Amino acid sequence: MVADQVRAEGGVQTPPPARPRRRGIGWAQRLEILVLSGPAILVFCTFVILPVLLAGYYGFYKWKGFGPPTNFVGLENYRTILQDQAFREALEHNGLIVVLSLVLQGPIAIGLAMLLNRKMRGRSVIRVLIFVPYVIAEVIVGTAWALLLQTNGAVNDVLKSIGLDWLAQDWLANPKLAIWTLLLILTWKYIGFAVILFLAGMQNIPEELAEAAAVDGASFWQTQLRITLPLLGPTIRIWGFLSIIGALQLFDLVYIIWGQYVASTAGTSTMVTYLVNEGRNAGNYGYGSAVAVVLFIISMVIALVYQRFVLRRDTDGALTGGR
Amino acid sequence: MALKRTLAVAAVLALSALGMTACGGDDDSSSGGDVTMELWQNSTTGPGKAFWEKTVADFQNAHPNVKIKLSSIQNEDLDGKLQTALNSGSAPDIFLQRGGGKMAAMVEAGQLKDITDGITAESKQAVGEAALKTGQVDGKAYAVPVSILPGGLWYSQDLFKKAGVTTPPATLDDLNAAVAKLKAAGTPIALGAKDAWPAAHWFYFFALRACSQATLDATAKSKTFDDPCWTKAGEQLKAFSDTKPFNEGFLTTSAQQGAGSSAGLVANHKASMELMGAWDPGVIASLTKDTKPLPDLGFFPFPSVPGGQGDPAAVMGGTDGYSCAKDAPKECTDFLNYILTKDVQVGFYKGFNSLPVNKEAQAAVTEPYLKAVLDAYNKAPYVSQWLDTLYGQNVGNALNVGVVNLLAGKGDVAGIIQAVNDAAKKG
Repeated sequence: MVADQVRAEGGVQTPPPARPRRRGIGWAQRLEILVLSGPAILVFCTFVILPVLLAGYYGFYKWKGFGPPTNFVGLENYRTILQDQAFREALEHNGLIVVLSLVLQGPIAIGLAMLLNRKMRGRSVIRVLIFVPYVIAEVIVGTAWALLLQTNGAVNDVLKSIGLDWLAQDWLANPKLAIWTLLLILTWKYIGFAVILFLAGMQNIPEELAEAAAVDGASFWQTQLRITLPLLGPTIRIWGFLSIIGALQLFDLVYIIWGQYVASTAGTSTMVTYLVNEGRNAGNYGYGSAVAVVLFIISMVIALVYQRFVLRRDTDGALTGGR
Repeated sequence: MALKRTLAVAAVLALSALGMTACGGDDDSSSGGDVTMELWQNSTTGPGKAFWEKTVADFQNAHPNVKIKLSSIQNEDLDGKLQTALNSGSAPDIFLQRGGGKMAAMVEAGQLKDITDGITAESKQAVGEAALKTGQVDGKAYAVPVSILPGGLWYSQDLFKKAGVTTPPATLDDLNAAVAKLKAAGTPIALGAKDAWPAAHWFYFFALRACSQATLDATAKSKTFDDPCWTKAGEQLKAFSDTKPFNEGFLTTSAQQGAGSSAGLVANHKASMELMGAWDPGVIASLTKDTKPLPDLGFFPFPSVPGGQGDPAAVMGGTDGYSCAKDAPKECTDFLNYILTKDVQVGFYKGFNSLPVNKEAQAAVTEPYLKAVLDAYNKAPYVSQWLDTLYGQNVGNALNVGVVNLLAGKGDVAGIIQAVNDAAKKG
């Protein structure tokens, strides 16, 4: 739009466009555009676009972060990343978290939403209870669970006091257990968001459909399965998208519960904790930048593929310009 | 296309402005007239901050042409802020320097002032060659130490007595025997492995006993851990950790934050001892119930380990120091010499409860545990820098994580050596 107008204004070489030239939008409007969107664009470019470009640039260097980078190594950092066992483990953890978040949270949240969509006593209380964990800051959730799940923490104390000693575990440090602990906390934390999303989706399903089904003699489960679920499709697909992106970029909970170093030992490292450990903790800012670029590419590819194949019918017209 | 042109012009303007600030500030290295300097240190409250305020005021009185702007920056924020300031060309003139690989990186980037000729004969006399060496890179001085922080075992005398351990362990066998008794009494060794470096200290001290001084130095250059003494140290640590001497859940215990941290366990008599540097008494004091120093705190050096090439009396520990930025005026070195004088150093000891580097000032130390540290330090044939500092952030970080894996039973000794070699590829 802007570019078109600008071209039309000063267009010596371009022939006059077919539509009438609007003389009114001259310098005044251009100034307005600049004043109103300029600061936002400047901030966006400085703190989002520039760092992305800089990460791409630093990724080609071995650089300790002091002075300008000088040791150009080409693609060596990327080669090292792909060969690094710790990165592969982190990638596996991310993959597991992506898949299990979808598989665990999705059905539970849909079930809860279906139950809560009916009129029943204490519905709003239950809704609040389910949604509260999502509202609490990650730092607080992480700190609280870390304290609860310590070997001498409240969870084990409770288990021991009710005679379930054999269930008391080293929830956070046992490498066979830690990733499942993490998934449990993630489910607890993010299920509320999914439920609210699905409830909102269900509000958009016309009640007449359920009524008609009831008249035809459909049971509750038949109604849910044949009517609610299919019509909830777009909401589920959008939630899936958000869940995948969130799982790929998971950082704060792991960082707070397991600290800067123990995540890889406990088997809960993610690509971002790997990035922080190899970049900031080790002082390898060049290598860390390359990891950031890899993470960016992986997220980007998955997001594009998902949009192209899963979200296609939902976003048709909205994102593709109606083609 | 006018918009694009406007953007391009703006970008060029912004870049040239950045360039000009980067080039500015080169011109104040000569002086004579009035001088203003900026000082960054990490004590934001209490007697530590008061010490710096007094020191700066006294120095300004003695040098009327000098004005020092004092900034107190929270310890964990300091490193990041300093790095940004150094890279943007707006570095403070005088700042806290932790030395090691990070300092070497600053030197390589030309960000520090060479103060080799600025250190006076009096300072050299007062501090001694060994401590001054910690501020040098390739024989040139870039920092002066203000405090020595050797490591060893901090323990509760009451808990030792209660468990029937009468004398502090002097050999590894003594230590193993003591740990058995202390564990039976329910007070194991505290370890904050969540922060990785406290766990790694155990490996470092075993290495200090297993490897000769020459090997430690040679490895700092080559960054390859192929001398058999490294494997030996790892195996000794593995054998020691197999006796399960540490507190339960040590992998998710942090070192210095809160009552559940390793220092907190010692402060609350839930654990009998901790391997830590000489800053530990202050940390433990801040975590006792009444935030007063632990009355029964004691110190003994890391025990001797049979069959090693390292001297059984060798000590590991770092120094905290101060550096001048590349473009700092020459008065910066005057100030560094000033903070090494006896009276200022006594003030430093009182402000920070930390061992001063000036040998005359060390006579003012009264706490028995700090005296025990000094005794071990002065008897030591040589002092090694903490290995993660000595070998640089990159290798140090990999070493630390490798040791945590070993203690968790996830990796073996070869895994530590592999991790270090992998890390070398990344930096």
